[in-house]
Amino acid sequence: MNLPRRLLCVITDEESDPVELARQALEGGAGMMQLRRKKASGRDLFHWALRIQELCREREALFIVNDRVDIALAMHADGVHLGQQDMPAAAARALLGPGAMIGVSVSCEEEAAKAAADGASYIGVGHIFPTYSKNKPSPPIGTAAIKPIRNAAQLPVIAIGGIDLDNSAEVIRAGASGIAVISAVSDSDDPAAAARELVRRIRQ
Amino acid sequence: MIVSSGGEHLAHRGLVLKQARALPLSAPVIFQVREKGLDSASLWTLCSQIAPVIDDAGSILAVNDRLDIALASGAGAVHLPESSCPADVIRKAARGLLTGQSVHSKTAALNASSAGLDYLLFGPVFHTPSKAPFGPPQGLEKLREICEKVRTPVFAVGGVTHDKALACIECGAWGVAALTPFLDAGSLPDTINRYLSYLPS
Repeated sequence: MNLPRRLLCVITDEESDPVELARQALEGGAGMMQLRRKKASGRDLFHWALRIQELCREREALFIVNDRVDIALAMHADGVHLGQQDMPAAAARALLGPGAMIGVSVSCEEEAAKAAADGASYIGVGHIFPTYSKNKPSPPIGTAAIKPIRNAAQLPVIAIGGIDLDNSAEVIRAGASGIAVISAVSDSDDPAAAARELVRRIRQ
Repeated sequence: MIVSSGGEHLAHRGLVLKQARALPLSAPVIFQVREKGLDSASLWTLCSQIAPVIDDAGSILAVNDRLDIALASGAGAVHLPESSCPADVIRKAARGLLTGQSVHSKTAALNASSAGLDYLLFGPVFHTPSKAPFGPPQGLEKLREICEKVRTPVFAVGGVTHDKALACIECGAWGVAALTPFLDAGSLPDTINRYLSYLPS
């Protein structure tokens, strides 16, 4: 499965109704939805995932689940996104098969090379800018880090971390295939409009 | 059935591996790893490490909640909490692993049984400090009622010390499960044998 270029991936936050957020983000042109709810039960995740996947299919967008390969396996999601604290990508690849979209979060060249060797489809690179959506003890890596990390993996890059309207185009110019956001869409009064404007900026 | 302490990320670091290594060949058990405090990478590492140890002892590793970790680590079973992904869905995706579920009511037991699960865990049957905040224990009569209603093997859990195990079996339970009695890995084979000495062979 190939990653579309100039892609907006919207990740669910911990508070909003994830299905409603997905509906609006997709209406605004998001090409990928990632369901990420660290403390939710398997039952909630499964039911949300089924509904978001349906919305994604209507718009020909990709749907992936954060961390929970079991949920992706159970409801046949397009794939998963794995952090460094999640199951190794090689194990997820063995479970989901060659056609699955598997993303791995990396923040340096070593992690990028490992992700590629483990069979990742793309790498999530960050955090690029300071971010408040997740507690990050390490400093942001900046846009200049994108190319060397991309080269180490030879995989498409989705940049993440503190990306907003003002810096989104810069990230694409720096070599990313797409951007992933949480608060830039979920914290907006009008998530659909926020997504639409982000898509416009990264396609300019 | 032995349930892990849940403290692998805190006070009981390393206990699961010690317990797994102490399992006696003479008495196969289901060893359920229930460590919600671990992140997925740590849980995968732990389960991958103990799966062959438990297998060599003739016992079965059951991973709580996470079918992905169970499949990827070579476990023999996945154990579903009541709030898990639907049991029939997991059962279809389980690729032959045993599938068990915790149930706390007759309705949940009947649902789980009709989903074709391999075993149920019902409780708390007796008073246990860890489950006290969730209300009074369910008691032996409810255990008996559930064991009569479902064909699926039922394990009794919750305050089931060795001297109370026989009463559960007499109510129709297939087996018993506990956490606290097995916390001391050094005496684990003795503890298992003490349980077995109270059960009909």
